[in-house]
Formats: sequence, structure tokens, C-alpha cells
Amino acid sequence: MTDAPLLEVRDLTTQFFTRAGVVRAVDGVSFCLRRGEVMGLVGESGSGKSVTGFSIIGLIDPPGRVASGSVKLDGRELVGLPADELRSLRGRVVSMVFQDPLMTLNPVLTIGEQIRLAIEAHRSMSAAEARRRAIAGLAQVRIPRPEATVDFYPHQLSGGMRQRVAIAIALLHRPKLIICDEPTTALDVSIQAEILAEMKELVAELGTALIWISHDLATVASIAQHVAVMRLGKIVEAGPTLDVLTRPQHAYTRALLDALPSRARPGEFLLRGGGVPDAAPPARKPAAAAAPVQGAPYFVADRVSKRFESRPRALRALGQKLGMLQPPPAVMAVDEVSLTVPRGEALGLVGESGSGKSTLGRMAAGIYAPTSGTVRLEGLPVMSEGAEPKKLTTRVQTIFQDPFASLNPRMRIGDGIAEGPLAHGLVDKSASGAYVRDWLAAVGLDPAFAERYPHQFSGGQRQRVAIARALAMQPDLVICDEPVASLDVSIQAQIINLLMRLRAELGLTLIFISHDLSVVRHLCDRVAVMYRGRIVEEGPAGEVYDNPQHDYTRRLLAAVPVLPEAAA
Amino acid sequence: MLTHVIERILQALAVMLVMSALVFVGVYAIGNPIDVLIGPDVSQDIRLDTIARYGLDKPLWEQYFTFLDRVLHGDFGRSFVFGMPVLELILSRLPATLELTLAAVLGAALVGIPAGIYAGYRPDSPLSKLIMALSILGFSVPTFWIGLVLIMTFAVELQWLPAGGRGETARLFGVEWSFLTPNGLSHLLLPALNLAFFKLALMTRLARAGTREVMLTDTVKFARAAGIPESVILRRHVLRLISIPLVTVFGLEFASTLAFAVVTETIFSWPGIGKLIIDSIQSLDRPVMVAYLMLVAFVFIMINFLVDLTYFALDPRLRKGRA
Repeated sequence: MTDAPLLEVRDLTTQFFTRAGVVRAVDGVSFCLRRGEVMGLVGESGSGKSVTGFSIIGLIDPPGRVASGSVKLDGRELVGLPADELRSLRGRVVSMVFQDPLMTLNPVLTIGEQIRLAIEAHRSMSAAEARRRAIAGLAQVRIPRPEATVDFYPHQLSGGMRQRVAIAIALLHRPKLIICDEPTTALDVSIQAEILAEMKELVAELGTALIWISHDLATVASIAQHVAVMRLGKIVEAGPTLDVLTRPQHAYTRALLDALPSRARPGEFLLRGGGVPDAAPPARKPAAAAAPVQGAPYFVADRVSKRFESRPRALRALGQKLGMLQPPPAVMAVDEVSLTVPRGEALGLVGESGSGKSTLGRMAAGIYAPTSGTVRLEGLPVMSEGAEPKKLTTRVQTIFQDPFASLNPRMRIGDGIAEGPLAHGLVDKSASGAYVRDWLAAVGLDPAFAERYPHQFSGGQRQRVAIARALAMQPDLVICDEPVASLDVSIQAQIINLLMRLRAELGLTLIFISHDLSVVRHLCDRVAVMYRGRIVEEGPAGEVYDNPQHDYTRRLLAAVPVLPEAAA
Repeated sequence: MLTHVIERILQALAVMLVMSALVFVGVYAIGNPIDVLIGPDVSQDIRLDTIARYGLDKPLWEQYFTFLDRVLHGDFGRSFVFGMPVLELILSRLPATLELTLAAVLGAALVGIPAGIYAGYRPDSPLSKLIMALSILGFSVPTFWIGLVLIMTFAVELQWLPAGGRGETARLFGVEWSFLTPNGLSHLLLPALNLAFFKLALMTRLARAGTREVMLTDTVKFARAAGIPESVILRRHVLRLISIPLVTVFGLEFASTLAFAVVTETIFSWPGIGKLIIDSIQSLDRPVMVAYLMLVAFVFIMINFLVDLTYFALDPRLRKGRA
């Protein structure tokens, strides 16, 4: 056995030819990978890490193409190989796993059919034999009851199971190299921990080399021996994982690490978010609202529940009434949860997908009416009662996860921000322009941006706009529903800093919903952990994190990948 | 699933009932068939006698309920003009239209879908651009004009194909069909081609749009990363993923052509139900009009229902419940 590297990438340059000119998405990247080695490729969005993966496997879609450089796999040059020969290597010698298994698996074919297509791509086999291989492949990635799963459709499986199926397909022909592009980003932490552990075992068992592409330094640290940090198409730093993450040489690597809330003391401003101080927010209009009920706690959700059920159609309803048909099972998203938030507190609401944290947030914000229970702010109900409940107060506002989805794409952002305050008389028409500009300045944006449309902003800027829009309603309580989940770490740091600053300046009360435990720890005074529609643990952030009482909280905290600490 | 089927059947019955009332009232609001049935020079006695014989002297609602009662017993009445039971008349003409429509819609799908997939797979190739240019032509040129051009070219100038009629027919399942004899097939070709043009353009554009969208998804990227050949990706992944809109349009086009192939049938003197209904309207043959329109409603409901069932077969996500 030779000691030659399995994969040798030299001066790889991939360009995209666009109307605006040539974009070098990958700009002279070189690295080597030995057999059975795991390498992490880390960078923020737009750094070219995914394009590097696609360039290796020869799947760059036009208008992009590999402009120069060489990719040698097992001594064989891949760049310039005819399409058909490349295809015969893909899946057999090198394969790939993508971020979102819901998007990669074909929704209208069974798991078994999809595996069979992947088998038949490289060898012919009888249907019965292919089925046996498919079941064996599913068993290999620890899918329970593979004999049944093979006949399932993707939508019948959970996210983690779907990703296991994708990994099973990638492993079918025992490739020498697997490229994983953000394979656990769309999954919950506990599922991510399982997949990471299984991947490590499989790689060791089969001797497969792995390129693990991720934006998350901690995940990469837990699986890769080597790591390369990419920025603007170039590798800025590479080396053994422990060295790079504990003794970063390059300023960019250091900045990336500093932007992580898990590395800062809770409540401190994150580095890299600082810089120019933003303008102060505009003055509040004196409260003209109804006087608060004396002696009531600030914000109370009292035994609120939310049940989602599909409304039966006429015939089915009749059938149910006659007892001939079973009503479809209703989903209890939130089950008799009580929550009290004192004025000025930041409460973190954590839990995995489906735990009911967003539903609870929406009830607190007056978006969903609770099925039972009440939500009150200073003793006054947030929503009216009756068959068609309406929100009664403007003092609770929400910031959503995806600002692109929550901002009207056909409305100038200035008009979007002014819309609510104008409708509720917080500002009159003549003053609204200045009011909007003040708010834009307060969230660190150029006031002249008021004339722009949402698509003209970057993700971080759009989230700032969404924050300005929520705060322009002059709320006392702000519900933040995963406001930094779709952002890069350095942008995330800026938004966290912005929220901390505005909270202090405006005396806001926050309910901060997130699946990211480190962000919550950093920003919140108190934490409530949700699991299956209930709050299983609640307490001061430090206590819950350092000394979790409930079993689920412990499992959740254990699943979070941690960065190696510097020895010094 | 079962409740869904029962619901659709109840819906269909309700639609048919409403349709029958609308058609009945609508048809009776226009003209008086008596003037067509008997000459203007007959005596008043014969005239009144004829009116009474057809039950036209009774109030409208009574006529309607008599009609409904007969329909429930499978009797749609007798044609004023042909003097034979309407159901028999329509059923004798239906196979001609059915085979013409099937030939046109199937032909359009078999040519249009592959052409559209190709155009979506290689959007920049010259052939794709040609396909798309032709499809615009298929959309915008009126049917009657294409029909005339076809007759001029293939029947008059080249004399390859006949210009009208059904030609020889052969019997299958007790019905006469043109497509079973070479001569009948040559008669079928031009009208089917004429009817197919618009559908061909529609299918092509739909398949192209779907393919372009699907080709950019991660599903295709993942299949390519597994080394699956492009032809297999197109046949097994892409075709399945774009099939739902195609089936919808196929069903709608099939139904509407079956009901309204009038223009083509007239140009090519194809003895189908389209020609029958035009003749009936001209001669105010009420029973035929009513029965025909109810048949059309029935066909639309049935085809939509079949399309719905096809959705369930094509997309497992629509089937309720987890396995």
C-alpha cells in the first residue's frame, strides 16, 4: 500500500460566468486528503466551500465551470474527464450527501426504488437482489426495521431517518471518498449528535475518507482530524483541527471563533459585532393605552394550550357524529403551559423542532389564539375572546426567523416599517419619513435605505429591517422567534449585539425562542426548556446550563458539540 | 380515501341535478320547436294535437319533473328530428368523437411531453428553441385555419389523405371504429392532427417549465452525485416529478375536446357528437340538446374524478396517514 494521498487538489479555480462578470467562487484552492481521513471545510455562506465540493465531484452547473487546477483522486486526474467517465466514478468511488434530505430524496419514489436506481447506476442486479442490498444498506446506517422502511416514501420518515437514507445511498458502492455538504445543519441537535457519532463509526469501519463541509466550527471539531477555513474562495488557514481551533493563526479564523456566543461570557457584547456605535432609537410616545391592572404580574401566560386539528369536511363530520368514523388525531402543540415574565427580563425558550416553542411564542404574541388558557400583559388580555379572536394590543411584537419571508417583497422597506405605526396612530403621516429613518439608524442601517426593496439587502441587513419594523411599533414585549438561525456566525454576532443593546436602551422584555442553546445562554436571564408541548425545566440560565435537573435538558445539553478549549 | 370517493360521487350527483335544471330551463327559453316540427300550413287542430303529444302544453315545472322521472328510468326522450331515442342517437355518434379525441390527446402527450422535457433539459440548444417557437405557433394559430391548411396541403394538393368522413370502419365490442382499418386510419389522421396542435403546444410548454424547475433541485443533484445516468434521471425522477400538472391538463383537454370538437368535426365532416349538437341546435331538437349537455357535465365530472384518483397514485404525500 502506497502512502500517496487519496485526494490531491491543486490550485483549483472554479468560475461562474454571470452577466455582471466572472465570479471566482473557488480561487486557487489546494489540499490533500489521505485514505480514511476526515477533513472539515469551514466557512461562512459565499466562502466557496460547497462549490469546492461540487468541483471535486464534477457537478458544477452552468454558467459555472472549473477553470483551472487539478483534482487527483487515487492518482487519476478528474478535471477534464469526459462526462460519462466522471459519472461512472460518482457514486462508486466518490459520493456526496447534501444538507436537506427532504430536498434531495425524491418524494414520489419509495426508499427502495431510489436505492435501486443508485445500485443500477453501476451494476446490474435482479430486483430481489437489489432489495436485499437496499435493506442491508439501510441496516448499516442503523435504520430500525429496514425491511419495512425500504417500502416507505421519504415523507413517512423523520428528518434524521431521511438523512440516514441519503447516507446509505452514498455508501452503497463503498466509495473511497464521501463529500458531506452541511449534512446535519437541518437537523435537531440530538439527531445531529447521533448522526455525527454514527458517521464517525462508519468511516472508521469502512475506511472511507470524508470531507465535512459546514459553517459550524463545533460540529467540524467533533468529527474532523484536519480542518481548512475558507473565505472568499480561498483557504486562509488549514491544519490539525485542535491547532486551528485553539491556536488560530489567521485573523479571520480568530474572528470566526470570537463571534461564537459559546466562547464569550454571557451578556457581554460579542467581538466582531462592535465597531461603529449606532444611533439612539427615537423617543417613545407617552403611553396612551389603558392603565395596567394594579398588582398583576407583568406578562403571564396562564395554562395555555393549543390544539391543531383539521376541520372535517361535511361528509366526514356527519360520519363522526354518527360514530361511524374516527376523528383524525388532533395535535396538542402546547399542553397547559404557564409562564410568567417580569418586566425587563429576557426569557429563553429552547427546545427541538416540534416541541411547541414557536406555537407558545405565537400565542404570547397574539398571533394564535390559545385553545384554552389566557395570555395577559399587565393584567390585560393580549387577544380578545370569541369565535374570531383579534389581537388587542400593539405592545407585543414579533421578530421572525426568516426576514425574507416576513417582509413584503413588493413594498419599500420604509413603507413597511411605517405601515404599522401609521395605522395605530403612533406617528402621523408628515413625521413618518423621519421616524423610519431614525429607526433605521438605530438598528445600524443607512437611513437612505428606506427607499429600497427587501431583495436589495443581505440576510443580516434584512433581519435588522425586521427588528426596526417590530420596534417601530413601540412594543414593551418582543417575541424573537429564531431571529439568528439563518445567519452566518459573524452576522449572528452583530444581531445578538444589536438585540442586547436595544434591550438595554429601550427597557424591553424579551422572549427569545431558539434551538441554539449557546445563543440563549448568552442573551437570556432565564431559560425554559420545552419538550413535547410542555415546559420541563425552567430557571435562571446559569443554573439550568450548569446543573440541569430534567433528564431531557441533560440529553439536550450533552448533544451540543463543543469546541476544544485552548490548553493555555 | 373511501369518504373522499363517496363525497365526490354525491357531489357529482348534485352537479348533474343542477345541470339538468339549468339546461332544461335554458333550452326551453329559446324558440319553439313546434314551428320546426310541423309545417306552417297545417291546421290549428293538428298543431294543438302535436303540442299535446310532446307534452309541450304543460307548465314548465311539470315538464321538467316528467323529464327527470324518465331520465331516472334511463329514457332521455326521442329526438324530434331523427325520431329515435336520444340516448341511442348520442351513443351511436360518441365512438367517432371518442376515437378522434383519444388519438389527438394521446398523440399530443406522446410527442409533446418528450419534446418539452428535452427543451427543458437543454434550454439553450437550437432544437429546443425551434420546439418552443413551434409551440407558440400551436397556441396562436386558430384551429379552423390549420384545418383548412391541412386539407389544402394533404388532401387537395398532394392528394395523400382524404379530406373528410370516417372511411371504412370495423366492429369491436359492437361498435364501429375507424382506427381498425387502414382506410379509416387515413381518414382519422388529419382531423386528429388538427385537434392535437393546441394540446401539443400546451403539453410541450408545461413539460418544459416543469423540467427546468426540477433539473435545478437537489433531488437531481443528489441522483447525479450517485452516478445515475442522465437518461434514467429524466425517465425515473423528472418525469414522475412533473407528472401532476401534465395529468391535470391531459384530463381537462380530454374532456373539453370530447365535448367541444365541433369546429374540427365540421371542417372534416366527421360524424361525431360535435356535429350532432350543432345540427340539433339549428333544428331546435330539445331532447338531444338537453341529453348532450348533461352528458358533457357527466364526462367532465368523471374525468376530474379520475384525475384526482391519478394524483393519489402519483404522489404518495396526498395519501393520508403514515404507513
